[in-house]
Order: sequence, then C-alpha cells, then structure tokens
Amino acid sequence: MNKNVLNEDSLLINKAQNGDEGAFNFLMTKYYPRVYASLYSFTKSKEDSEDIAQQTFVKVWQQINSFRGESALFTWIYRIAINLAKNYVASSAYKKQKVNISSDSVEIDFPSYENPENSLMHLESLNGIKSYVNQLPESLRTAFTLREVDGKSYEEIANITNTPIGTVRSRIFRAREGVLEYIAKEL
Amino acid sequence: MDNNKNLEENLSALFDGELDSSEIQNVLESVSERKDLQKKLSNYGLISSALNQDNPNEVFVDHNRNKLNYNFWLSNGFTAAASILITLFFINQAELSRMGEDYSAKNKLDLAINSEEAKNIVNMTENNLVDHVMSVINNPDFMNTTPYSIDLKNVGFTRQPNNQRIFMRGNENFTLRIEKKDLGLKKVRNWKHGNKTIYLVPLADGRVLTIYGNIDTQSALAVANTIN
Repeated sequence: MNKNVLNEDSLLINKAQNGDEGAFNFLMTKYYPRVYASLYSFTKSKEDSEDIAQQTFVKVWQQINSFRGESALFTWIYRIAINLAKNYVASSAYKKQKVNISSDSVEIDFPSYENPENSLMHLESLNGIKSYVNQLPESLRTAFTLREVDGKSYEEIANITNTPIGTVRSRIFRAREGVLEYIAKEL
Repeated sequence: MDNNKNLEENLSALFDGELDSSEIQNVLESVSERKDLQKKLSNYGLISSALNQDNPNEVFVDHNRNKLNYNFWLSNGFTAAASILITLFFINQAELSRMGEDYSAKNKLDLAINSEEAKNIVNMTENNLVDHVMSVINNPDFMNTTPYSIDLKNVGFTRQPNNQRIFMRGNENFTLRIEKKDLGLKKVRNWKHGNKTIYLVPLADGRVLTIYGNIDTQSALAVANTIN
C-alpha cells in the first residue's frame, strides 16, 4: 500500500469518530466485501463469514475512537476480524450454539444499506471482474489498476500518466462504471 | 456533466478518499437517501475486493494455524452471542425506526463512542439482554412459563389444545413470559432466530414482556398492547 493513501479514509474516519453514522456506513459498505472475502477464503462458509464480518463491524463501530491512523483502516479492520475469528472458534457461546441450536440460523438485516453479501454469493465470479478490467481501454485500465491494485493516489497517477488529476478522477470513475455494467450483465 | 453523473463521480472519488472535504457531506447525505447509490457503493467495494482478493494462504500468515480447529469452520455453525450483538446493533435500529419508536438505543451507541462510562453502561444493558435472549433460545423451560391468566382472544389467539402454554392463530404460534425486572429495556426490540422471532416489550408498569415464536411484528405488538 502506498504511504500517501495509507489513511485515505481519514476524513470519513474523523466523521465516524464524531458519531456520524453516514460516514461509518460508508466505510462499512466500502470494506465489507473485502472483510467478507478474507474471512470466506479461510472459513469456506458463507454463514460463518457473514457472522464474523458483521460482528467485526460492530466492534469497529464500538472502537472506532481507538483507531489512531497508524495503519490503513482496512488493515485495522482486518486485524479485528482475524481476532474475532480466533475468539469465535474458541468461544463457549459457539460451543453452546453447536450443541443446542446448530441447525438454526440467524437472519441479520443492515439498517439502511443493502447487504453486500448478496452480491458476494457470486464470489467465484469475481475472477470475471479481473478479466473484464484487463479488457478496458488502456487509459482507463492504467488509471484504475494504479488506483485499485497499486494503491496510488490520484496525484501520483496524474504524475505517472502525465494527465491532469481531474482526468484521472474521471477515468477511474468511467472504469468503475464499465465494470458495474459488466456485473449487471454477466454476474 | 449532469448533476447525477457528477454526484456519482464524487461517490467514486470519496470511495478513493480523494473527494474535497467540502463535498463529502453532500455525498454522504445522498448515499443515505438513495438505494441506487448505496448499491453502487456496495459494488465499488465488491470490485475492490475482486481486484485485491487476498491469497487464502496468506490470511493467517502471522498466526498459529494449528491452534484453530478447521472442522468448526466447515460445519456451518454460528455464534449466537455474536449474532445477538449484531442484532442489537443493526436490527434494532431498522425495526424500531419503522415502528416509529424513539432512538434511545441509537443515542446510547452514539454516546458510547465518546464516553467510556456510557460505553460501560450500554454494555451492561446489552449484556443483560444478550443473557436473556440466550436463555430464550437455549433453555426450553425458560419460555415454558406462559401465564394461564392471560386471554388473547380479542386479538385472535387461542391456546394450543395439547400445550396450553402456546398461543396460536393460523400459522402463527408463540409462547410468552413476563419479567418483573426491566432489563434496562426502554423500547421494543426484536431478534430473529431461524423462522422464529424474539420480541422484548417494555410494559407500562416497568415489567418486560418476552414473546418468542413464529409471529410477525404487527401481531406481536397487538399482543403486547393487549397485555399492556
């Protein structure tokens, strides 16, 4: 991760730390898929990944004030998720649940945002997104991958590609729109 | 560029942490109001996840994997306590805002962000509720205490012939319990467990009504109003 974008979420984090639920929901929605995917890659269980991912964000909400910005927000969230995953396995509540009500399930609704997990049911199709990105026009692909994969800031991308920041911003947006169209059609 | 496209481009920029601070609030307010923007934001996260998919072999690279029992993870189980915590946070706010209830729990959470003391108070309340709900789920005897004196015929519920503790109406059925302590509850809350729902309703005299079963929100509130 590039150091300049280490705390790319700092403004939203500040708002969330001051009790702004909209900012927190934004961050939650932004990172939920990555947290879920990380947990899923380990648990191979949709239900477990969903439970731990959502528990993670409750913890994040409760402890957001303790985030000091010394790491990227996702790294911090990821650590919480991993610790919860470890505790989850060892917890007595889990064992109790296994004994008494293991055949049941809990339905969880988000307050206002659509549950991104629905989209993640097609986790195996995510490779299709990568393939699609590789087919984007070169200018869009370069800006988008520099941002998403290499973690470059808009300013850095502007310098690398020798284009104005506004153009970088527009290309990344258009690339995302293209991928969204692909998702709507193919996934 | 039209206003909507401009807003969407701002959403993309905010996702990247590149939006000017003066424009952030407008985007946040728009996202909170518009489902299409919420979905777009969710999909931005999905795309980011796809492009940054972690290598499964690296997930626990810094942890001792041997300490984890993988069979647990593959068994399709879940933690009730974790789910309850989530439910306390998420479902409560969604359900109650629809019911037009107050926002005291939400405000408690807001306070908890800024105050250790408030956080402890909230945690105590939530712990009480978690314990209570865990008892409802895990202990069959706990809910086998439906008072025989309660009559719910005015809302269409009669007692099941072979088990007088259970009320039924069509496909709906439930048991109920009344606590003499208030559990710190200030408003109606509910938890879903499988196809059943647990409702906790603060009564006017300070007691708490627990309704557990296959019953929808409106019916549960009608029952609560009758008892109240």
